[in-house]
Amino acid sequence: MSRATALSRSRARSMNPRRTRHGLINTSLGRGLIQLVSVAAVLALWQVGVEMGWVSAFMVGAPRQILKVLVDGIVSGSLLVDTYYTVVEAVLGFVIGTALGSFAGLALWYSPLVARLTEPFLIAINSVPKIAFGPIVILWFGTGLVSKVALAVSLTAIVALIAAYQAAKTADRDLQALLLTLGADKNQVFFNLVVPSSLPAIIATFHINIGFGLVGAVVGEFISSERGLGHLIFTASGLYDLNTVWAGLFMLMLIGFLLYFVIDFIERRLLPWKEAATANAFHV
Amino acid sequence: MAQDIQLRLRSIRKSFDGQNGRIDVLKGVDFDVYERDFVSIIGPSGCGKSTVFNIVAGLLAPDDGDIIYRHERVSNLRGRVGYMMQRDLLFPWRTVLENIMLGPEMQRLPKAEARDNAMEYLNTFGLAGVENAYPKMLSGGMRQRVALIRTLLTDPDILLLDEPFSALDYQTRLYLEGVLVDAVETFNKTVILVTHDIDEAVALSKRVVVLGGKPSQVKSVHQIDLGSRSPVGARSDPHFSEYFHTLCGELDIQTKVKQ
Ligand SMILES: Nc1ncnc2c1ncn2[C@@H]1O[C@H](COP(=O)(O)OP(=O)(O)OP(=O)(O)O)[C@@H](O)[C@H]1O
Ligand SMILES: [Mg+2]
Repeated sequence: MSRATALSRSRARSMNPRRTRHGLINTSLGRGLIQLVSVAAVLALWQVGVEMGWVSAFMVGAPRQILKVLVDGIVSGSLLVDTYYTVVEAVLGFVIGTALGSFAGLALWYSPLVARLTEPFLIAINSVPKIAFGPIVILWFGTGLVSKVALAVSLTAIVALIAAYQAAKTADRDLQALLLTLGADKNQVFFNLVVPSSLPAIIATFHINIGFGLVGAVVGEFISSERGLGHLIFTASGLYDLNTVWAGLFMLMLIGFLLYFVIDFIERRLLPWKEAATANAFHV
Repeated sequence: MAQDIQLRLRSIRKSFDGQNGRIDVLKGVDFDVYERDFVSIIGPSGCGKSTVFNIVAGLLAPDDGDIIYRHERVSNLRGRVGYMMQRDLLFPWRTVLENIMLGPEMQRLPKAEARDNAMEYLNTFGLAGVENAYPKMLSGGMRQRVALIRTLLTDPDILLLDEPFSALDYQTRLYLEGVLVDAVETFNKTVILVTHDIDEAVALSKRVVVLGGKPSQVKSVHQIDLGSRSPVGARSDPHFSEYFHTLCGELDIQTKVKQ
């Protein structure tokens, strides 16, 4: 029995062309290793370039100094405080904006008339670069946390709204018909069909919107602020302190990266039925 | 043997918007369905069988004509029919059991009882053990069975079944035909069945309605009197092939080599 399964398993592996052809590359450890080595190589080249005088440390900074800024900032805690403020602004903006936008977009399903009336306005608002609202938002909401959150909300809400509305509008007509024959009313169709079938599209906007949340927070800080990574980067670049700029950028990247995985985790939690489908995907 | 008429369709007309103007699909369809009847509708592909069901179930409005239910003119039978559509229409985010429980859930019926019924059906239909799987993991035949159970569980007066067995292998099909016949006999249901399978229509039905023409009308209605209505028993009845050949003739299918 155990021999039979072992045999069939080894046969399955040898019949899978990807595994055998690329070997180590297709394991996550192998891929991670390659990625790490690439990053290390770029950083080493950069450091060597600066030390050999190929490039100016004044204009591009240097990895070793950047690391020092990072370590000093973490030890003193000032970098962590800036990071904390930016994360709070971005996440608040993301959550509020995405929630508001998604609810509004789904709610438009209830009234095709209202939806059709508002559609051109949504497209118009969406086509304005929301960053341009920045100065007004600061005027209205002050230079503190609220204005950054508001800016992030304005960026994320419209994305979520349009995605949610599109998805709700295209919910399967036959499934709707089926629910109606089973005696469902409009609210039941909404909660049992429109919401769940729009969920994948809405969750897909999370990935985009977490980035927009950060954009809103950082741009708000650029315009006017006392704290945050945007503030740090903006003031440091005014002083030609490139190493601090890079340190700030590195922290932003790290945040974006971590938030992306958090979203990924949430997605898998919310859509177990999608997981079931992709687990058996064909090799194309 | 006077029978009460449960459902009467009178001069049902329906046309659709096509690429070159309106296309007439149904040109006055008339037929009756008795209490506890088992009627099959056969006809060429695209003749409007599913359209008739959509009209009866209230998903489409007819252009003209009357639907009379137990001597009363009604606009449709929404809420009184269980409609199993041609696509299995399982909700991908619901498990098998959750899909089956849709009807009771929408009608806000007590959960526990419906659940017990559902589990019993799952056993009868050979689906025990997959109740927590998502539809994506099932074979076509399994999905069809799930859709059929969902329809039966709502316990309607009339079942509208649009090719419920078309994706099944012959063995499972015979078995489930038997299950269906038993279930409708036990629970006194009326069934209207659309099928492409003349064999199936003869074996299961009390009467067969043939649609034909362009646009479609009822071409003929055939009374089927076989000794047995179990799937295998009916097929071995001496009169079975007679009915079979007659219906093939109605559909212009050649069954005998011409001299
Ligand atoms: N919503 C619709 N809009 C336009 N045309 C339609 C619509 N529904 C059906 N039709 C047309 O009406 C005709 C009958 O369709 P219907 O689905 O009722 O056929 P059918 O007899 O069930 O066919 P099949 O046996 O292949 O399932 C077809 O020509 C189809 O193209
Ligand atoms: Mg059809």
